[in-house]
Amino acid sequence: MQQLLNGLFTGSIYALFAIGFTLVFGVLDRLNLAHPAVFAVSAFVGIELVEVAGLSIWLTLPIVFVVGSLLGVIIERVAFRPLKDRPDAHFAGLISSIALAGMFIALLQWRYGPNTRRFPVDSFPSTTFTVFGAHVTLLQVAILVISVLLMVGLSLLVARSRLGRGMRAIAENPTAARVLGINVDRVTMTTFAISSALGAVAGALFAMNVNSAQLGMGTAIELKGLAVIIVGGMGSLPGALVGGLLLGLAEVFAVQYVGSSWRDMVAFGLLFLILLVRPQGLFGARKVREV
Amino acid sequence: MFTESTFVFIALTAIFAYSFYAVLVAGQLSLGQAGFASLAAFTAASLAPDPGDVGDLPALLIAIVIGMAVGAAAALILGLPTMRLRGVFLAIATLAFAEAVRILIINMEWTGGAQGMSVPKILEPWMAWVVLALVAYWFWRQGPTRYGRALEAIREDELAARAMGIDVGNHRLSAFIAAGAIAGLYGVLWAFYVRLIAPEDFGFAQAIDGLVTAVVGGSTAFVGPLLGSVFLTMVPEVQRAIGIEAGWIRPFLASLLLLLVILFLPGGLASLLPRRAARLVTGSADERAEVESRLSQRVHPTDGQTVVKLQGLGKDYGGVHANRDIDLHITGGEIIGLIGPNGAGKTTLVNMISGMTKPTSGTAEVLGLDPGGVAVHKVAAAGVSRTFQHSKLFARLSALENVMVGGHLVSKPTFLRRMLWLPSARRDERRLAVHAAHCLNRVGLADKEGVKASALSYGDQRRLEIARALASDPSLLILDEPAAGMNHVEADALSDLIGSLAQDGLTILLIEHNVGMVMKTCSRIVVLNFGEVIATGTPEEIANNPAVVEAYLGSSESEDAS
Repeated sequence: MQQLLNGLFTGSIYALFAIGFTLVFGVLDRLNLAHPAVFAVSAFVGIELVEVAGLSIWLTLPIVFVVGSLLGVIIERVAFRPLKDRPDAHFAGLISSIALAGMFIALLQWRYGPNTRRFPVDSFPSTTFTVFGAHVTLLQVAILVISVLLMVGLSLLVARSRLGRGMRAIAENPTAARVLGINVDRVTMTTFAISSALGAVAGALFAMNVNSAQLGMGTAIELKGLAVIIVGGMGSLPGALVGGLLLGLAEVFAVQYVGSSWRDMVAFGLLFLILLVRPQGLFGARKVREV
Repeated sequence: MFTESTFVFIALTAIFAYSFYAVLVAGQLSLGQAGFASLAAFTAASLAPDPGDVGDLPALLIAIVIGMAVGAAAALILGLPTMRLRGVFLAIATLAFAEAVRILIINMEWTGGAQGMSVPKILEPWMAWVVLALVAYWFWRQGPTRYGRALEAIREDELAARAMGIDVGNHRLSAFIAAGAIAGLYGVLWAFYVRLIAPEDFGFAQAIDGLVTAVVGGSTAFVGPLLGSVFLTMVPEVQRAIGIEAGWIRPFLASLLLLLVILFLPGGLASLLPRRAARLVTGSADERAEVESRLSQRVHPTDGQTVVKLQGLGKDYGGVHANRDIDLHITGGEIIGLIGPNGAGKTTLVNMISGMTKPTSGTAEVLGLDPGGVAVHKVAAAGVSRTFQHSKLFARLSALENVMVGGHLVSKPTFLRRMLWLPSARRDERRLAVHAAHCLNRVGLADKEGVKASALSYGDQRRLEIARALASDPSLLILDEPAAGMNHVEADALSDLIGSLAQDGLTILLIEHNVGMVMKTCSRIVVLNFGEVIATGTPEEIANNPAVVEAYLGSSESEDAS
């Protein structure tokens, strides 16, 4: 039971990270490899806010959300918009986002140095619950609740709002969307902003969950995020949610029954299997090729 | 200012980048190369003989052979199930493979686990550069060959490449295996230079570095990876030389430069160098005649012989009938016009004839094949060639190169012979160039040979599609709205061209909205409406058929109603 809950908490962070990843891919058909850098930056920013400004960890989350969305706007403006009409926009976007990620990480190193950083002692509430005999901290519950709320909110936004309709229209056909009067550039920018904001909150929550932040933390979760969006289906929001939880659970059980050195194999084994058997993912729709 | 190791790392990084280049030229994004390199390095390091026993160079050569074989074999095994994946999906699947290899090696006894394995250092700088020269030579010779052009065609438009008779699956797999072999080569060289190899030497970051090197250098010219490697290896060296402190500034500037290159140099660093495009070779009249008799050897079906026979052919898209119960018999030398209102199912019908869409009912026989039952390139090989309603040219290739890809089926493979500098390869390439020039000339594009397809005007793109389709010496030529965007003078010239092609014995299926042109050009006309054949006959019969008039103009009642 304890394992199950731990898996659920980690999984909800994976899901929140992956949902930002998959949002950009689903709407814009671009893989944004600066997403993991946003994840890392926001973890450091979160720690800084608690340590220097003395804010409570709860207050840092909305600020991190805003910081993330600003980073998203920068990523879109600098790394993606200039490439829009290039025949190799796919490859070029990967590289330009990697380059921008490198710059973000270098700036982090300038500000905080290469060492692991932690939240000051006593930043976390000490309340714990006992659920079916398992120990759960208030922080863990909060992580799960915040992640799920953000994901549900995003799903509603995409399904119901005017902005969401614009996103879905662009996902179908950007040219047609533009002709229909949708401000494609603005929707694209907003999509990046939301995506990065979610990635940023995921980063801050992750840092709280393990109480540490390192420069390389984005790279570690990047591969898992990719696994989650493939397993769930590229561009599928519920897919990213289920995929993330599934991966979190699979990992804790792999550690329990196979050994911790094989933990990371789970993600890649799962990923590979899905790609071979059902390339569109659990929740993805198959795209029909047109002549 | 530069040490020996800088020079070695430039060579090694370039070789690794070539393993990405090998697939990027075919438009594939793979991140599995680090996995191939890792497997090759550990296997070769454990199996190769001790340099103390056999000497340095023999030991290295044996290790290279082992490493390349391991890399190629791993690529084959990974490629068989994954080659049907495209774009990012392929990238992620191969990345997953590389990570799985890394975790596997960490958990193995014989590789020394996470500590890694110590390997004798026997690689000298000159050896690394000789190997790099060989790899660069490989891709230099590969470029302007039938194989090289086929890969580029696949990168630009996979479906059009199939329609030109290119076996896309095989080409993609062979490019992937080449990438595996070169990645293996890199792994071995790395192992025998750095003394200690660990699984972390071949991780995600290294794969990304390799990709970045190849793309920054340029993935459309063979010097690209080398330029990329010089650039990316020198950036930190130069920074150190001019006294920039270690720490954050170096990675920051390196990333910034990378960003600037990718934003402002779309073709990578290689685009700064002038590129020599294939030139138009018209040849003498005698040479043209000799080439045409050599390359156009197909025996076309003659009058009365079946070219296409459709019986009850239908296509359903989830309950929507795109085509229903089509019966059609086309014989040698006919010019069949296929007309009908928008959405009548014309394109679906020619897609089924050319093997791109599988029918849901009925049977089809095209030049002795069942087009629904075999791969598209086999239908093309049987003599079916087509143009597309929406231009599917190879955008970044020149007009001449587009037509040369069209000649894939009638030309001979030249890659291996070009590697060996055999004169026969040059002769075959020249023949293909002459043939392509002849096809361009026939559609009136001889003066546009060096222009990129994407830079041509719309009408010229339509003509280039026809020239490309002609280059495969087809028996059945399918033209899907070739006159769209042409004025009536150009349409008349096209009509004359179609007539002269029929004189040469080709059978032609023409889809066109320009009814005047169809009436003038075709020997027989088939009219489709709502997916069904509503009339067939000579142009006069069709012009006077009330059902056709109704389909085109609407019946008098519905006009009243509106």
